[in-house]
Amino acid sequence: MQANSGMLTKFESKSSRAKGIAFHPKRPWILVSLHSSTIQLWDYRMGTLIDRFEEHDGPVRGVDFHKTQPLFVSGGDDYKIKVWSYQTRRCLFTLNGHLDYIRTVFFHHELPWIVSASDDQTIRIWNWQNRSLLCTMTGHNHYAMCAQFHPKEDLVVSASLDQSVRVWDISGLRKKHSAPTSMTFEDQVARSNANQTDMFGNTDAVVKFVLEGHDRGVNWVAFHPTMPLIVSAGDDRLVKLWRMSETKAWEVDTCRGHFQNASGCLFHPHQDLILSAGEDKTIRVWDLNKRTAVNSFKRENDRFWVIAAHPEINLFAAGHDNGVMVFKLERERPASAVHQNTLFYITKEKHVRSFDFQKNVESPTLLSLKKLGSPWVPPRTLSYNPAERSVLVTSSADGGSYELINLPRDGSGAVEPTESKRGQGNSAVFVARNRFAVLNTASQNVDIKDLTNNTTRSFKPPHGTTDIYFGGTGNLLIITPTAVHLYDIQQKKSIAELSVTGVKYVVWSNDGLYAALLSKHNVTIITKSLEQVSTLHETIRIKSATWDDAGVLLYSTLNHVKYTLLNGDNGIVRTLDQTVYLVRVKGRNVYCLDRAAKPKVLQIDPTEYRFKLALVKRNYEEMLHIIQNSSLVGQSIISYLQKKGYPEIALQFVQDPTTRFELAIECGNLEVAVEMSKQLDRPKLWTRLSTEALAHGSHSIVEMCYKKLKHFDKLSFLYLTTGDEGKLAKMAKIAEHRGDFTSRFQNALYLGDVEDRIQMFKEIDLYPLAYATAKSHGLEEECQSILEATGLTEEQLTLPQLGAPLTPPKPVVPTYKADWPTKAASQSFFEKALLGQVEGLSLEDETSAPTNGFGLDDAGDEETGAKRTGALVDVDDDEDAAGWDLGDDIVPEVEEGFVNVESADAGGAGLSEADLWARNSPLAVDHVAGGSFDTAMQLLNRQVGAVNFAPLKPRFLEVFESSKTYLPASAGLPPLVNYVRRTLDESDPRKVLPIIPRDLEYLATNDLQRGYDFMKTNKLEDCQRVFKGILHAVLVNAVSSESEVAEAKKLITSASEYLVAVAIELARRKFTPDMISQNPSNLKRSLELSAYFTIPKIEVPHRQLALLNAMNLAMRSKNYSTALSFANRILANGANPKIMESAKKTKAQCERNPHDAVEIEFDQFAEFEICAASHTPIYSGTAYEECAFDGAKYHTKFKGTVCTVCEVCEVGKHGSGLKLFA
Amino acid sequence: MDPFSAEGELINIHNHFHQGQYQDVVDFDTSSLSSENALPARVLQLRAQIALGHAEDVLADVQGVTGPELEAVGALAEYTTGDVDSAVKTVEKLAQSSADNATVQVLGGIVLQAAGKSDEALALLSQHSGNLEAVTLIVQIHLQQNRNDLAVKEVAAARRWAQDSVLVNLAESWVGLRLGGEKYQQAFYVFEELAQAPSTSSVRSLVSQAVAELHLGRIEEAQSALEQALQKEPDFADAIANLLVLTVITGKDPKALTSSLEQVDAHHPLLTDLAEKSELFDKAATKYKPKVAAA
Repeated sequence: MQANSGMLTKFESKSSRAKGIAFHPKRPWILVSLHSSTIQLWDYRMGTLIDRFEEHDGPVRGVDFHKTQPLFVSGGDDYKIKVWSYQTRRCLFTLNGHLDYIRTVFFHHELPWIVSASDDQTIRIWNWQNRSLLCTMTGHNHYAMCAQFHPKEDLVVSASLDQSVRVWDISGLRKKHSAPTSMTFEDQVARSNANQTDMFGNTDAVVKFVLEGHDRGVNWVAFHPTMPLIVSAGDDRLVKLWRMSETKAWEVDTCRGHFQNASGCLFHPHQDLILSAGEDKTIRVWDLNKRTAVNSFKRENDRFWVIAAHPEINLFAAGHDNGVMVFKLERERPASAVHQNTLFYITKEKHVRSFDFQKNVESPTLLSLKKLGSPWVPPRTLSYNPAERSVLVTSSADGGSYELINLPRDGSGAVEPTESKRGQGNSAVFVARNRFAVLNTASQNVDIKDLTNNTTRSFKPPHGTTDIYFGGTGNLLIITPTAVHLYDIQQKKSIAELSVTGVKYVVWSNDGLYAALLSKHNVTIITKSLEQVSTLHETIRIKSATWDDAGVLLYSTLNHVKYTLLNGDNGIVRTLDQTVYLVRVKGRNVYCLDRAAKPKVLQIDPTEYRFKLALVKRNYEEMLHIIQNSSLVGQSIISYLQKKGYPEIALQFVQDPTTRFELAIECGNLEVAVEMSKQLDRPKLWTRLSTEALAHGSHSIVEMCYKKLKHFDKLSFLYLTTGDEGKLAKMAKIAEHRGDFTSRFQNALYLGDVEDRIQMFKEIDLYPLAYATAKSHGLEEECQSILEATGLTEEQLTLPQLGAPLTPPKPVVPTYKADWPTKAASQSFFEKALLGQVEGLSLEDETSAPTNGFGLDDAGDEETGAKRTGALVDVDDDEDAAGWDLGDDIVPEVEEGFVNVESADAGGAGLSEADLWARNSPLAVDHVAGGSFDTAMQLLNRQVGAVNFAPLKPRFLEVFESSKTYLPASAGLPPLVNYVRRTLDESDPRKVLPIIPRDLEYLATNDLQRGYDFMKTNKLEDCQRVFKGILHAVLVNAVSSESEVAEAKKLITSASEYLVAVAIELARRKFTPDMISQNPSNLKRSLELSAYFTIPKIEVPHRQLALLNAMNLAMRSKNYSTALSFANRILANGANPKIMESAKKTKAQCERNPHDAVEIEFDQFAEFEICAASHTPIYSGTAYEECAFDGAKYHTKFKGTVCTVCEVCEVGKHGSGLKLFA
Repeated sequence: MDPFSAEGELINIHNHFHQGQYQDVVDFDTSSLSSENALPARVLQLRAQIALGHAEDVLADVQGVTGPELEAVGALAEYTTGDVDSAVKTVEKLAQSSADNATVQVLGGIVLQAAGKSDEALALLSQHSGNLEAVTLIVQIHLQQNRNDLAVKEVAAARRWAQDSVLVNLAESWVGLRLGGEKYQQAFYVFEELAQAPSTSSVRSLVSQAVAELHLGRIEEAQSALEQALQKEPDFADAIANLLVLTVITGKDPKALTSSLEQVDAHHPLLTDLAEKSELFDKAATKYKPKVAAA
């Protein structure tokens, strides 16, 4: 075929010469009128011929679709204009009047008019509603070749072989036909008979301009859709551009290039381009503004006769000697690339932009590519390199070229790239951080280039390579027309090959394990080592695809978004009203680019494919979740489940009893099957049920079925096998009652009832048999009576040899008493889950309440929840944090003589980064991380008076341990040590700082909550351990802002209060009941401790527990007054009803007798704190000492001891304050 | 032509070795190699054997063989089996007699550095002429001595003449991990590229990738890479060590990992460091005492 660079043929038909073409404005249809008198209606998207209309005699030259009605018009060499309905597929009527061949026919865009041009030198306007001729425009003095309405104004333009183009004003005609009908009937008749001249002597249509310039006949003429421009094509091989104003019109320029008659021309509906077609077998594209040739497409043998544009979408059609072609001038697929949460794409204006999927925002223009390639050729592909933040853009202009450009950090409008590297190539993709591959199809060569655009290696790809794609690290996917190769760049060889034809695009899954190969009609899913996983076929063209995070491929065809699982199961997700290119799926959103290169978000319902995926992965929890949360019931999903062998799951969805029965049988769910059979009550179903039940050993169901079916013999046999003699006897009775002797005989046999058998034989006069039976069972009397009855003697009989009498078989086990299942009833996990039997699957488990160790209902759970989140903020902070802001730190001088080697060039070891940390930071933790423990201790000693370091050892080692990694380097040498930083972006050695494990945030969200939980669940030792750990972790830590320092202080205070509280309670618990009963002072102390337990400022729900505890103890010891105060406090705090109830009761009881039996040192009205060492009150106003770190209060006598709370610092030693932030 | 260059026949075995794919090196079919490349290939294979822990076999293999290359291999094997003095002696002798031999430089450098004689190692290695492996060793020694500045220079120089080599990329990444900032990401790309491509992937590159991720603060990714590495080679000490570090960073209890590291490699730097610091702590802590002993 032709070498049509850039033109994309979408459809071609073979026929006789095509003279007229019309696009349907909405549907993918095209009308083609042929020289052979036929009019064809094609679906150019599907490539099918929808209809043929054959009523014209001779060639049909003009056709047009009506914009809104299901109509089209045609005009032919039989002088006839025909109006057709494509719905009823008939010609509705014919307009006669022209006296020669009709060249073109067009509908008016709003009025019910048709304009026609004819060889009879006239142009006529018709009303197709009343089927009349409105106006005949004369003036051309040769064949009128083409006439068209102006799209907006009341103008007609015509072209004629008289070498002129004429513009006609038809506003008179419109006035006349839309004027109010105020005139009399006579007037109207007179007026319509006036024919062209109205009462002022004006004609309905007057020539406005005559455009002369062509020096041969003019074949075609067209208005510009928006601008006052006209384009014409003539036998002088020229395409001329004209401009008009209100008063005049003139020639603007001429496009020269056709070397044969130019037969058709038009303006591009959206771009500043002119298209023309000619008998020189070319279609040419011209720049409207420069009137220069932009492109031309040549066909070998076919002269072009007509060209048409789709009014909306970017499609054109041209008719030639052997049919019609529908084509595009350029690809509409916007070049794009996705990296993590960002889409990079090139707009129609050739701007590079990005789109953030998380924020749903479009960036401003990052870069303008205006200068890349020719202005009319959009870039073809975009490859993004996140490491360098650069893009590689290819364009098909100039025989294929690529450009490597760095993106600016922020978009600041249309920036021209400052520095770009370019070269020749058809495809270019990044293959590594610092390498890209360029394919040159003409020379069949692939170059691997570095970022400076130098070729580092180059190789010959497999024969016939058309495209290359990224193939996983170090690899390329090489596309040939018949196969895809996985090519190892390092080894320069193809390591795998898969024969897939016509692959056009490759889409990698997010995890890089799978890729989808898209060809026109196929999707092939491969693994990263190029093994085929599945393939599917689509009749409609596949446009794009993208993977969701779970490994489902979503792809778009021209009109659908579909999905396919890895196993090839696929289905429709939604329909599309316009073509889009998918770039990303996230939840219910599909992100795509439309043809105008605008990012769009489509809503989808992913339930179906998620469900199927869960099914394939046997992820029952997920399935359950989906079933319970979405309305997934549909025939398709049921049949899918059944087909895939999950009838038991399908059963959950079905309502229809018949289907339910089928499914139940299939999965062996007899209960449901019985239920459904009862509902339906059809013999066929009972039969099937009986068979199935028999296989299951459920003979009670079998019995029921047989009863329903009245299968008496089977029923008898069933009773026999199950040993149910009672029922068997009943069967015999029934048989007798029915008079069914065979059945009776059978039952008698089963029962071993000889008498009945003989009786029966006698009844039916079978005496010989009766006799033989009696004889063989030794019933001589019976024999005799038979002989008597028959009047025979024994001698007259010749008996055969008689065998042993029949003994009926006896079942070993009386099975009839219970079913004996032979087949396990398949109650799936799934059903159980649905029935709520599987533990831990309940969907409410997120909200499951923690158990409460104090044996109470969850004390104000909601409140606790709220407290938890804001725990650090809410804790009272009236503790005077003295000593915290006491001016600057005294950073201990670093005694070790550091050798300054920064400028020394010669050998010798340098400072490790760990050493630098100690230098860079005044924080103890950074010294610890650097391994400089002694300086760290010195710092802590000065800051908070730390003296007892042993408890801090785990924390020291933890911090130290987490600061270094071990990088395996050269074999034989120890690993290279590197230093983990918390300052990730810093590379200045004077500013780097180490990572700190268990930072403040971690402590607040993990350890603190754990401490609360232990408190709640009454595990006080664990609680103590956790809070101590928190104190130690905060002591050796670092934060990133002043506000975090405040937060850290709150955390310290909170932990300290809890530790005091827990210590008090633990001390109280040391008193066993025996000790209390033996020594009254122990009772007193115990009561005091329980009262003190309520003093520390712990979280309210926890304090409630302490209060409740104290109240109950006080009650028990008849300390009603104290108990009353606790009860009041509980009520003041407010809590869950149970505690409140108990408090109210106590209060009522105590108020009757507000006296204490045991005197204790607890003044409910005084302000006091608790000494952390002695657990006695420190009343306000008395002197006290405290721990500089955690703020715990002590009686002055404890000064100099180690704080019992943190176990590190010395009580009463004031330091410079803990430093956590430099 | 340099047999290790991109066009040379040893490129693959050489890359396998430096990507840590030792088994691939041992299994490499050397029969088709030209005669002058047979010896370097054999040296690589022997070194791979040593790296795989078969130093004794190698020692037996090269016993009594002459020729500087194999003698150097013998020294490395000796060193690995614990015979440090003899190995150092051999190397020092070789350094006298054939210091211009590339294999002697590299293996000698390794033995000397491992024995703690960094200056001698550097002196031997600096005699190389266009030997990339020597360059990477020099880089590593500089880094071990915390002379990041010198390491940077060395890499920059090598990059000028051997841009595309795996070795240069690796050395640059080592330096990058030390320097940090944006270099972390670049180092990560190099390691990831090696670790993720099936033809170049090895446990070592996976661990390296994880280390880079750790430095980048991508804890979860690092963890999955390390777990992947341990799945492939459960006894890889560096993987355990790094996972241990990661565990501590995430605030979890590393006891199980500590004991498994002790089993695999009791002399891992992490353990020796920790033991040393633990001692230091106890010593330093004794300097402080409360004024009043607890009641």
